[in-house]
Amino acid sequence: MTGVPTEYGPLVRELHERAARLRQPINGAFELTSACNLYCRMCYVRHSAFDRTVRGKELSAVQWLELARQAKDNGLLFLLLTGGEIFLRRDFFDIYEPLTRMGLIIALFTNGTLVTRAIAERLAQAPPNRMEITLYGATAATYEAITGVPGSFAACCAGIEALVANRVPLGLKTTVTRYNVDELEDMRQMAHNWGLPFSGAWMLSHRPDGQPSDVENCRLSAAECVELEATDRASAEEWSEAALRELPADNHYNFYCKAGKAAFTVNPSGDMNTCLLLPEPAARPLDSGFKAAWAQVGKYVDSAPPPSSVCLACDARVYCGRCPAWSLIETGTLTAPALFWCDIARARKERYEWPA
Amino acid sequence: MKRKDDLLLQNVGGQDLLVPLGSKVLDMNGMVVLNPTGRYIWELLAEDRSLEDLVTAVVARFKVGADRAGADVRTFVDDLSRKGWIDI
Repeated sequence: MTGVPTEYGPLVRELHERAARLRQPINGAFELTSACNLYCRMCYVRHSAFDRTVRGKELSAVQWLELARQAKDNGLLFLLLTGGEIFLRRDFFDIYEPLTRMGLIIALFTNGTLVTRAIAERLAQAPPNRMEITLYGATAATYEAITGVPGSFAACCAGIEALVANRVPLGLKTTVTRYNVDELEDMRQMAHNWGLPFSGAWMLSHRPDGQPSDVENCRLSAAECVELEATDRASAEEWSEAALRELPADNHYNFYCKAGKAAFTVNPSGDMNTCLLLPEPAARPLDSGFKAAWAQVGKYVDSAPPPSSVCLACDARVYCGRCPAWSLIETGTLTAPALFWCDIARARKERYEWPA
Repeated sequence: MKRKDDLLLQNVGGQDLLVPLGSKVLDMNGMVVLNPTGRYIWELLAEDRSLEDLVTAVVARFKVGADRAGADVRTFVDDLSRKGWIDI
Protein backbone atom coordinates (compact mmCIF):
# COMPACT_ATOMS: atom_id res chain seq x y z
CA MET A 1 0.00 0.00 0.00
CA THR A 2 1.20 3.47 -0.72
CA GLY A 3 1.11 5.79 2.26
CA VAL A 4 0.78 9.29 0.94
CA PRO A 5 -1.59 11.71 -0.70
CA THR A 6 -1.53 11.19 -4.46
CA GLU A 7 -0.03 14.56 -5.27
CA TYR A 8 2.99 13.72 -3.14
CA GLY A 9 3.51 10.37 -4.83
CA PRO A 10 6.47 11.30 -7.06
CA LEU A 11 8.20 13.17 -4.22
CA VAL A 12 7.69 10.30 -1.82
CA ARG A 13 8.99 7.78 -4.34
CA GLU A 14 12.07 9.95 -4.88
CA LEU A 15 12.63 10.21 -1.13
CA HIS A 16 12.39 6.45 -0.79
CA GLU A 17 14.89 5.98 -3.61
CA ARG A 18 17.33 8.37 -1.95
CA ALA A 19 16.82 6.74 1.42
CA ALA A 20 17.33 3.24 0.04
CA ARG A 21 20.62 4.28 -1.53
CA LEU A 22 21.79 5.58 1.85
CA ARG A 23 20.08 2.85 3.88
CA GLN A 24 18.13 5.47 5.81
CA PRO A 25 15.08 3.94 7.57
CA ILE A 26 12.56 6.58 6.50
CA ASN A 27 9.53 4.29 6.48
CA GLY A 28 8.39 2.44 9.57
CA ALA A 29 5.29 0.58 10.64
CA PHE A 30 4.49 0.09 14.31
CA GLU A 31 2.05 -2.77 14.83
CA LEU A 32 0.73 -1.53 18.16
CA THR A 33 -1.34 -4.64 18.80
CA SER A 34 -2.33 -7.80 16.99
CA ALA A 35 -5.60 -7.90 18.90
CA CYS A 36 -8.82 -6.90 17.17
CA ASN A 37 -12.46 -6.52 18.13
CA LEU A 38 -13.56 -7.98 14.77
CA TYR A 39 -13.26 -11.58 13.63
CA CYS A 40 -12.60 -11.18 9.90
CA ARG A 41 -12.32 -14.62 8.43
CA MET A 42 -9.46 -13.77 6.04
CA CYS A 43 -7.33 -11.62 8.38
CA TYR A 44 -3.60 -12.32 8.36
CA VAL A 45 -2.86 -11.00 11.83
CA ARG A 46 -5.73 -10.85 14.29
CA HIS A 47 -5.86 -12.29 17.78
CA SER A 48 -8.78 -12.00 20.15
CA ALA A 49 -9.11 -8.73 22.00
CA PHE A 50 -9.45 -10.86 25.12
CA ASP A 51 -6.25 -12.89 24.60
CA ARG A 52 -4.30 -11.84 27.66
CA THR A 53 -1.19 -13.75 26.66
CA VAL A 54 -0.96 -11.87 23.38
CA ARG A 55 -1.81 -8.53 24.90
CA GLY A 56 0.60 -9.03 27.76
CA LYS A 57 3.50 -9.08 25.29
CA GLU A 58 2.69 -5.69 23.77
CA LEU A 59 5.19 -2.89 24.21
CA SER A 60 4.14 -0.14 26.57
CA ALA A 61 3.46 3.41 25.41
CA VAL A 62 6.79 4.47 26.90
CA GLN A 63 8.59 1.78 24.92
CA TRP A 64 6.89 2.71 21.64
CA LEU A 65 7.89 6.32 22.15
CA GLU A 66 11.47 5.40 22.95
CA LEU A 67 11.54 3.34 19.78
CA ALA A 68 10.10 6.22 17.77
CA ARG A 69 12.68 8.64 19.17
CA GLN A 70 15.52 6.32 18.23
CA ALA A 71 14.01 5.71 14.79
CA LYS A 72 13.62 9.44 14.27
CA ASP A 73 17.27 9.98 15.22
CA ASN A 74 18.15 7.46 12.51
CA GLY A 75 16.04 9.18 9.85
CA LEU A 76 12.44 7.98 10.21
CA LEU A 77 9.94 10.19 8.38
CA PHE A 78 6.89 8.10 7.41
CA LEU A 79 5.30 6.20 10.28
CA LEU A 80 2.28 3.89 10.06
CA LEU A 81 0.45 2.89 13.23
CA THR A 82 -1.50 -0.27 12.59
CA GLY A 83 -2.82 -3.41 14.22
CA GLY A 84 -4.84 -5.43 14.94
CA GLU A 85 -7.10 -2.61 15.93
CA ILE A 86 -5.13 0.36 17.22
CA PHE A 87 -8.05 1.86 19.17
CA LEU A 88 -8.24 -1.24 21.35
CA ARG A 89 -5.24 0.21 23.14
CA ARG A 90 -6.51 2.38 25.95
CA ASP A 91 -3.20 4.20 25.91
CA PHE A 92 -3.41 4.94 22.18
CA PHE A 93 -3.27 8.70 22.63
CA ASP A 94 -0.36 8.37 25.06
CA ILE A 95 1.53 6.98 22.08
CA TYR A 96 -0.04 8.98 19.29
CA GLU A 97 -0.02 12.52 20.61
CA PRO A 98 3.72 12.71 21.39
CA LEU A 99 4.41 11.21 17.96
CA THR A 100 2.55 14.09 16.30
CA ARG A 101 5.11 16.48 17.77
CA MET A 102 8.13 14.61 16.41
CA GLY A 103 7.98 15.77 12.79
CA LEU A 104 6.75 12.51 11.32
CA ILE A 105 4.30 11.92 8.47
CA ILE A 106 1.84 9.70 10.29
CA ALA A 107 -0.72 7.26 8.90
CA LEU A 108 -3.27 5.31 10.94
CA PHE A 109 -4.96 2.07 9.84
CA THR A 110 -8.14 1.13 11.69
CA ASN A 111 -11.44 -0.66 11.17
CA GLY A 112 -13.17 2.47 12.45
CA THR A 113 -15.66 0.64 14.65
CA LEU A 114 -14.19 1.99 17.90
CA VAL A 115 -13.88 5.59 16.69
CA THR A 116 -16.25 7.63 18.83
CA ARG A 117 -17.03 11.31 18.46
CA ALA A 118 -14.63 11.99 21.34
CA ILE A 119 -11.83 10.10 19.61
CA ALA A 120 -12.49 11.92 16.33
CA GLU A 121 -12.43 15.27 18.11
CA ARG A 122 -9.19 14.41 19.85
CA LEU A 123 -7.59 13.25 16.59
CA ALA A 124 -8.63 16.53 14.98
CA GLN A 125 -6.49 18.41 17.50
CA ALA A 126 -3.40 16.85 15.91
CA PRO A 127 -4.58 14.85 12.92
CA PRO A 128 -2.61 12.15 11.16
CA ASN A 129 -1.56 12.93 7.61
CA ARG A 130 -3.71 10.05 6.53
CA MET A 131 -6.12 7.65 8.13
CA GLU A 132 -7.49 4.57 6.37
CA ILE A 133 -10.55 2.59 7.30
CA THR A 134 -11.30 -0.77 5.76
CA LEU A 135 -14.89 -1.20 4.68
CA TYR A 136 -15.95 -4.84 4.41
CA GLY A 137 -19.29 -4.33 2.71
CA ALA A 138 -21.97 -1.85 1.77
CA THR A 139 -24.66 -3.53 3.83
CA ALA A 140 -24.72 -4.76 7.40
CA ALA A 141 -25.44 -8.29 6.19
CA THR A 142 -22.36 -8.51 4.00
CA TYR A 143 -20.06 -6.50 6.29
CA GLU A 144 -20.94 -8.53 9.34
CA ALA A 145 -20.80 -11.85 7.50
CA ILE A 146 -17.11 -11.07 7.10
CA THR A 147 -16.37 -9.42 10.46
CA GLY A 148 -18.52 -11.79 12.50
CA VAL A 149 -19.67 -9.01 14.82
CA PRO A 150 -23.31 -7.85 14.91
CA GLY A 151 -23.55 -4.06 14.91
CA SER A 152 -20.04 -3.58 13.51
CA PHE A 153 -21.29 -2.08 10.21
CA ALA A 154 -23.21 0.67 11.99
CA ALA A 155 -20.26 1.28 14.32
CA CYS A 156 -17.90 1.60 11.34
CA CYS A 157 -20.23 4.04 9.58
CA ALA A 158 -20.56 6.10 12.76
CA GLY A 159 -16.78 6.19 13.09
CA ILE A 160 -16.38 7.37 9.51
CA GLU A 161 -18.98 10.07 9.98
CA ALA A 162 -17.33 11.31 13.16
CA LEU A 163 -13.98 11.57 11.41
CA VAL A 164 -15.49 13.30 8.37
CA ALA A 165 -17.31 15.77 10.62
CA ASN A 166 -14.01 16.61 12.29
CA ARG A 167 -12.08 16.94 9.01
CA VAL A 168 -9.61 14.21 9.85
CA PRO A 169 -7.83 13.22 6.60
CA LEU A 170 -9.45 9.92 5.72
CA GLY A 171 -9.62 7.34 2.97
CA LEU A 172 -11.67 4.16 2.67
CA LYS A 173 -10.46 0.88 1.29
CA THR A 174 -11.82 -2.58 1.05
CA THR A 175 -10.46 -6.06 1.13
CA VAL A 176 -12.16 -7.69 -1.83
CA THR A 177 -13.37 -11.20 -1.10
CA ARG A 178 -15.79 -13.65 -2.63
CA TYR A 179 -18.31 -12.47 -0.05
CA ASN A 180 -18.29 -8.73 -0.77
CA VAL A 181 -17.14 -8.36 -4.37
CA ASP A 182 -20.73 -7.84 -5.50
CA GLU A 183 -20.93 -4.73 -3.31
CA LEU A 184 -17.78 -3.11 -4.62
CA GLU A 185 -19.69 -0.51 -6.59
CA ASP A 186 -21.96 0.26 -3.64
CA MET A 187 -18.94 0.68 -1.35
CA ARG A 188 -17.42 3.07 -3.85
CA GLN A 189 -20.66 5.04 -3.84
CA MET A 190 -20.64 5.18 -0.04
CA ALA A 191 -17.14 6.62 -0.11
CA HIS A 192 -18.18 9.09 -2.78
CA ASN A 193 -21.16 10.20 -0.70
CA TRP A 194 -18.82 10.94 2.19
CA GLY A 195 -16.42 12.70 -0.17
CA LEU A 196 -13.69 10.16 0.52
CA PRO A 197 -11.19 8.37 -1.73
CA PHE A 198 -11.68 4.63 -2.14
CA SER A 199 -9.40 1.76 -3.05
CA GLY A 200 -9.48 -2.00 -2.92
CA ALA A 201 -7.11 -4.92 -2.56
CA TRP A 202 -7.86 -8.50 -3.50
CA MET A 203 -4.54 -10.24 -2.73
CA LEU A 204 -5.32 -12.07 0.49
CA SER A 205 -2.47 -13.55 2.47
CA HIS A 206 -2.34 -16.55 4.73
CA ARG A 207 -1.18 -15.81 8.25
CA PRO A 208 2.59 -15.45 8.66
CA ASP A 209 2.33 -17.12 12.07
CA GLY A 210 0.95 -20.26 10.46
CA GLN A 211 -2.37 -20.16 12.28
CA PRO A 212 -5.47 -21.03 10.23
CA SER A 213 -7.65 -18.48 8.47
CA ASP A 214 -10.32 -18.73 5.82
CA VAL A 215 -8.24 -17.20 3.03
CA GLU A 216 -8.76 -19.99 0.55
CA ASN A 217 -12.54 -19.63 0.70
CA CYS A 218 -12.41 -15.83 0.63
CA ARG A 219 -10.01 -15.36 -2.26
CA LEU A 220 -11.28 -14.67 -5.73
CA SER A 221 -9.80 -16.87 -8.43
CA ALA A 222 -6.76 -15.54 -10.26
CA ALA A 223 -8.87 -14.93 -13.36
CA GLU A 224 -11.43 -12.99 -11.32
CA CYS A 225 -8.68 -10.90 -9.70
CA VAL A 226 -7.16 -9.96 -13.03
CA GLU A 227 -10.55 -9.19 -14.51
CA LEU A 228 -11.22 -6.92 -11.55
CA GLU A 229 -7.94 -5.06 -11.74
CA ALA A 230 -8.39 -4.53 -15.44
CA THR A 231 -11.90 -3.17 -15.16
CA ASP A 232 -12.27 -1.64 -11.72
CA ARG A 233 -10.28 1.44 -10.82
CA ALA A 234 -10.60 0.92 -7.10
CA SER A 235 -8.96 -2.46 -7.22
CA ALA A 236 -6.18 -1.55 -9.62
CA GLU A 237 -3.71 -0.87 -6.84
CA GLU A 238 -2.22 -4.36 -6.82
CA TRP A 239 -1.49 -4.07 -10.49
CA SER A 240 -0.10 -0.56 -10.36
CA GLU A 241 2.19 -1.58 -7.51
CA ALA A 242 3.46 -4.46 -9.58
CA ALA A 243 3.77 -2.28 -12.66
CA LEU A 244 5.79 0.34 -10.79
CA ARG A 245 8.31 -2.16 -9.55
CA GLU A 246 11.76 -2.02 -10.99
CA LEU A 247 12.30 -5.53 -12.20
CA PRO A 248 14.84 -5.76 -14.99
CA ALA A 249 15.21 -9.23 -16.40
CA ASP A 250 18.71 -9.59 -15.01
CA ASN A 251 17.73 -8.58 -11.48
CA HIS A 252 18.22 -11.64 -9.31
CA TYR A 253 17.85 -9.74 -6.06
CA ASN A 254 15.12 -11.35 -3.96
CA PHE A 255 14.07 -8.27 -1.96
CA TYR A 256 13.23 -5.88 -4.79
CA CYS A 257 11.16 -3.60 -2.53
CA LYS A 258 12.40 -1.06 0.01
CA ALA A 259 12.24 -3.47 2.95
CA GLY A 260 15.50 -3.45 4.87
CA LYS A 261 16.82 -0.62 2.71
CA ALA A 262 14.44 2.20 3.61
CA ALA A 263 11.61 0.45 5.45
CA PHE A 264 11.08 -1.66 8.53
CA THR A 265 8.27 -2.86 10.79
CA VAL A 266 8.07 -3.47 14.51
CA ASN A 267 5.59 -6.04 15.80
CA PRO A 268 3.59 -5.65 19.03
CA SER A 269 6.26 -7.27 21.19
CA GLY A 270 9.07 -5.13 19.77
CA ASP A 271 10.65 -7.35 17.11
CA MET A 272 11.95 -5.39 14.13
CA ASN A 273 11.25 -7.18 10.86
CA THR A 274 11.42 -6.58 7.14
CA CYS A 275 7.68 -6.17 6.63
CA LEU A 276 4.31 -6.93 8.19
CA LEU A 277 4.07 -10.20 6.25
CA LEU A 278 7.62 -11.37 6.95
CA PRO A 279 8.35 -11.75 10.67
CA GLU A 280 12.13 -11.98 10.28
CA PRO A 281 14.86 -11.34 11.38
CA ALA A 282 13.21 -10.36 14.69
CA ALA A 283 15.89 -7.86 15.66
CA ARG A 284 15.41 -6.27 19.08
CA PRO A 285 15.83 -2.49 18.82
CA LEU A 286 14.95 -1.85 22.45
CA ASP A 287 17.67 -4.26 23.56
CA SER A 288 20.41 -3.62 21.02
CA GLY A 289 19.55 -0.05 20.06
CA PHE A 290 17.73 0.98 16.91
CA LYS A 291 20.85 1.39 14.80
CA ALA A 292 22.10 -2.13 15.44
CA ALA A 293 18.64 -3.62 14.85
CA TRP A 294 18.26 -1.72 11.59
CA ALA A 295 21.67 -2.97 10.46
CA GLN A 296 20.54 -6.51 11.28
CA VAL A 297 17.44 -6.11 9.10
CA GLY A 298 19.57 -4.77 6.26
CA LYS A 299 21.98 -7.68 6.57
CA TYR A 300 19.08 -10.12 6.50
CA VAL A 301 17.76 -8.63 3.28
CA ASP A 302 21.17 -8.45 1.63
CA SER A 303 22.03 -12.03 2.45
CA ALA A 304 18.72 -13.50 1.24
CA PRO A 305 19.10 -16.10 -1.49
CA PRO A 306 17.94 -15.15 -5.00
CA PRO A 307 14.51 -16.21 -6.25
CA SER A 308 14.27 -19.80 -7.42
CA SER A 309 15.49 -20.68 -10.89
CA VAL A 310 11.86 -21.42 -11.77
CA CYS A 311 10.90 -17.81 -11.04
CA LEU A 312 13.95 -16.35 -12.75
CA ALA A 313 13.20 -18.31 -15.91
CA CYS A 314 9.45 -17.62 -15.87
CA ASP A 315 8.22 -15.72 -18.92
CA ALA A 316 5.45 -14.11 -16.82
CA ARG A 317 7.84 -12.79 -14.18
CA VAL A 318 7.25 -9.15 -14.96
CA TYR A 319 3.56 -9.67 -14.14
CA CYS A 320 4.25 -11.33 -10.81
CA GLY A 321 4.06 -9.82 -7.33
CA ARG A 322 5.82 -12.66 -5.56
CA CYS A 323 8.31 -11.56 -2.97
CA PRO A 324 10.20 -13.35 -0.21
CA ALA A 325 7.33 -12.71 2.22
CA TRP A 326 4.81 -14.38 -0.07
CA SER A 327 7.15 -17.28 -0.67
CA LEU A 328 7.70 -17.75 3.04
CA ILE A 329 4.00 -17.68 3.86
CA GLU A 330 2.93 -19.90 1.00
CA THR A 331 5.89 -22.31 0.85
CA GLY A 332 8.00 -21.97 3.98
CA THR A 333 11.03 -20.76 2.00
CA LEU A 334 12.15 -17.30 0.92
CA THR A 335 12.59 -18.35 -2.67
CA ALA A 336 10.05 -20.86 -3.98
CA PRO A 337 7.22 -19.87 -6.35
CA ALA A 338 4.06 -18.78 -4.52
CA LEU A 339 1.49 -20.64 -6.56
CA PHE A 340 -1.35 -18.13 -6.35
CA TRP A 341 1.00 -15.47 -7.69
CA CYS A 342 1.97 -17.86 -10.50
CA ASP A 343 -1.71 -18.03 -11.43
CA ILE A 344 -2.07 -14.24 -11.26
CA ALA A 345 1.04 -13.64 -13.37
CA ARG A 346 -0.10 -16.15 -15.96
CA ALA A 347 -3.59 -14.61 -16.12
CA ARG A 348 -2.10 -11.13 -16.52
CA LYS A 349 0.21 -12.25 -19.28
CA GLU A 350 -2.67 -13.77 -21.16
CA ARG A 351 -4.79 -10.68 -20.73
CA TYR A 352 -2.28 -7.93 -21.36
CA GLU A 353 0.24 -9.35 -23.84
CA TRP A 354 -0.59 -8.99 -27.46
CA PRO A 355 0.13 -10.84 -29.60
CA ALA A 356 0.28 -13.69 -27.08
CA MET B 1 10.43 38.05 11.87
CA LYS B 2 10.72 34.56 13.29
CA ARG B 3 9.56 31.12 12.26
CA LYS B 4 6.68 29.45 14.06
CA ASP B 5 7.37 26.27 15.94
CA ASP B 6 4.79 24.02 14.32
CA LEU B 7 7.00 22.93 11.43
CA LEU B 8 10.07 20.75 11.74
CA LEU B 9 13.05 20.47 9.42
CA GLN B 10 13.81 16.91 8.33
CA ASN B 11 16.43 15.49 6.00
CA VAL B 12 16.04 12.45 3.80
CA GLY B 13 19.03 11.38 1.77
CA GLY B 14 20.29 14.95 1.58
CA GLN B 15 16.89 16.42 0.74
CA ASP B 16 15.64 19.01 3.24
CA LEU B 17 11.94 18.97 4.07
CA LEU B 18 9.57 20.90 6.27
CA VAL B 19 7.06 18.66 8.01
CA PRO B 20 4.00 20.03 9.87
CA LEU B 21 3.42 19.25 13.53
CA GLY B 22 0.19 18.83 15.48
CA SER B 23 -2.85 20.69 14.16
CA LYS B 24 -0.73 22.21 11.38
CA VAL B 25 -1.36 18.96 9.48
CA LEU B 26 -4.89 20.19 8.76
CA ASP B 27 -3.51 23.24 6.90
CA MET B 28 -0.61 21.51 5.24
CA ASN B 29 -1.06 17.81 4.75
CA GLY B 30 2.27 16.66 3.43
CA MET B 31 5.60 18.38 3.35
CA VAL B 32 7.60 21.06 1.61
CA VAL B 33 10.97 20.62 -0.06
CA LEU B 34 13.60 23.26 0.72
CA ASN B 35 16.60 24.10 -1.43
CA PRO B 36 19.86 24.97 0.33
CA THR B 37 19.01 28.68 0.43
CA GLY B 38 15.55 27.96 1.81
CA ARG B 39 17.01 25.72 4.46
CA TYR B 40 19.57 28.36 5.41
CA ILE B 41 16.93 31.05 5.77
CA TRP B 42 14.68 28.71 7.74
CA GLU B 43 17.51 28.00 10.16
CA LEU B 44 18.23 31.72 10.52
CA LEU B 45 14.57 32.32 11.32
CA ALA B 46 14.93 30.30 14.52
CA GLU B 47 15.85 33.75 15.90
CA ASP B 48 14.12 37.04 15.28
CA ARG B 49 15.59 38.49 12.04
CA SER B 50 14.99 41.50 9.87
CA LEU B 51 14.78 41.23 6.10
CA GLU B 52 18.13 42.99 5.92
CA ASP B 53 19.69 40.41 8.27
CA LEU B 54 18.54 37.61 6.00
CA VAL B 55 19.73 39.27 2.79
CA THR B 56 23.13 40.06 4.28
CA ALA B 57 23.53 36.47 5.47
CA VAL B 58 22.48 35.00 2.12
CA VAL B 59 24.86 37.26 0.20
CA ALA B 60 27.73 36.23 2.46
CA ARG B 61 26.90 32.53 2.35
CA PHE B 62 25.98 31.98 -1.30
CA LYS B 63 28.14 34.60 -3.04
CA VAL B 64 25.27 36.24 -4.90
CA GLY B 65 24.63 39.91 -5.56
CA ALA B 66 22.61 41.91 -3.05
CA ASP B 67 19.93 42.77 -5.61
CA ARG B 68 19.20 39.21 -6.55
CA ALA B 69 19.47 37.96 -2.97
CA GLY B 70 17.11 40.72 -1.83
CA ALA B 71 14.49 39.80 -4.41
CA ASP B 72 14.74 36.06 -3.73
CA VAL B 73 14.66 36.42 0.05
CA ARG B 74 11.68 38.80 -0.14
CA THR B 75 9.77 36.35 -2.34
CA PHE B 76 10.54 33.48 0.00
CA VAL B 77 9.64 35.41 3.13
CA ASP B 78 6.40 36.66 1.55
CA ASP B 79 5.51 33.08 0.76
CA LEU B 80 6.28 31.95 4.31
CA SER B 81 4.19 34.80 5.65
CA ARG B 82 1.23 34.03 3.35
CA LYS B 83 1.35 30.43 4.53
CA GLY B 84 1.39 31.59 8.14
CA TRP B 85 4.68 29.87 8.90
CA ILE B 86 6.46 32.95 10.31
CA ASP B 87 5.53 35.73 12.67
CA ILE B 88 6.35 39.14 11.24
